[in-house]
Amino acid sequence: MRRTLSTLLLCAGALLATSAFAGRSCDAEYPPKASTVERGLTLAERTLAALDASGDRVVILARAGQDLSKYGLRYSHLGFAYQQPDGQGGHVWRVMHKLNQCGSADAYVYRQGLGEFFIDDLWRYEATWVSPTPEVQERLLALLQDPKNQARATQLNIKAYSMVSYAWGTKYQQSNQWALETLALAMEPSATSRDRAQAWLKFKGYEPSVLTIRPLTRLGGRATRANVAFDDHPNDKRFSDHIETVTVDSVFDWLQRAQLGKAPVKLAL
Amino acid sequence: MKSKFASLLIAACAFTAGAGVTFNAQAQSEISALSAISALPIASLVVGSSAVVGAVVAVPVVLSTAGATLVVKTVESTARGTVYVLERASDGAKASIEVVGKGVAGASLVAGTVLTVSVIGAGTVLSAAGEAIAFIPNAIGRALLHNERVTS
Repeated sequence: MRRTLSTLLLCAGALLATSAFAGRSCDAEYPPKASTVERGLTLAERTLAALDASGDRVVILARAGQDLSKYGLRYSHLGFAYQQPDGQGGHVWRVMHKLNQCGSADAYVYRQGLGEFFIDDLWRYEATWVSPTPEVQERLLALLQDPKNQARATQLNIKAYSMVSYAWGTKYQQSNQWALETLALAMEPSATSRDRAQAWLKFKGYEPSVLTIRPLTRLGGRATRANVAFDDHPNDKRFSDHIETVTVDSVFDWLQRAQLGKAPVKLAL
Repeated sequence: MKSKFASLLIAACAFTAGAGVTFNAQAQSEISALSAISALPIASLVVGSSAVVGAVVAVPVVLSTAGATLVVKTVESTARGTVYVLERASDGAKASIEVVGKGVAGASLVAGTVLTVSVIGAGTVLSAAGEAIAFIPNAIGRALLHNERVTS
């Protein structure tokens, strides 16, 4: 019975997969709520002050864009916040992170200010970050600030995006996955492909989150959203509802476990 | 300077071409989803007819008093965008903002629209009916804003 159901769902999924997954349009422009702007920028301002006072030069910074509590997760998205020379002897903080484009199947790497990072309509106005060890910071900065080779920081990026992409796959790449693989590249210069970066992460003991996502939820997501796909997950895991993907919480846990970073710092409004 | 007669022009410049005036913050509900990209327009102060983008210029009192209520008096199209003359309801003090390009957050403001001034650590937010329509950053605010797509 279970097998029959799985087969039916597979067929349904194949049919649905041929539909046009246009994603949500970016055309609609509407003003944000004033409270969203005010709270987002206030969180950004306080984060800036805390980072300046921390003595860190690069941190792994995360936000809580959605309520992921049903998956046992607190944060949704991370990037690298790092100091960049301002050309006048000082510095500014910038965030390099990967963003899905308006619900489409594509994503790009952006360099943004802390304001942009936090001005989205957050689920919780809370910032959290991990301060990497001095060695990790040095290696990350060398990658993120490399003036001679801007492309190096993004060489592991691919455009094809699924928000639940398989942590050990290369067909899609979600945002946290790009950051994690890029961290691997920073630490291991020979990790110049996604396969190699993932091998290094496995060697260092990284373990993705395992999300339980039932068939109907999977089909619903795939059918209605261009930025959701499950076909990169191994069948045995997918059909047992085990979706392994890179999450903020799993990355932060691992950084501590691998002694690559300190305990997360939290700043809430 | 008497804010009542202030004729400061604030140019709300698009932060990056094509993206600066678009707010697409969308609530998401799935794991690891990202909100759509939000870009915040930088409002730069212009005194008289000269743009003073990024310079340290005091924001007129009419635009820096938290809770102040302003009314859009006139709307004028320019080569760069639209100029709105604002008047403080309590004493008639005036200031003008210029919205470059398609307009701040795509808002369509007409004469008579009531705006509210909010002052935060990063600058001043102007809103209409709870919706942000312009942001005038101070030095901290300018340090918080940057939007650049790195990959193609």
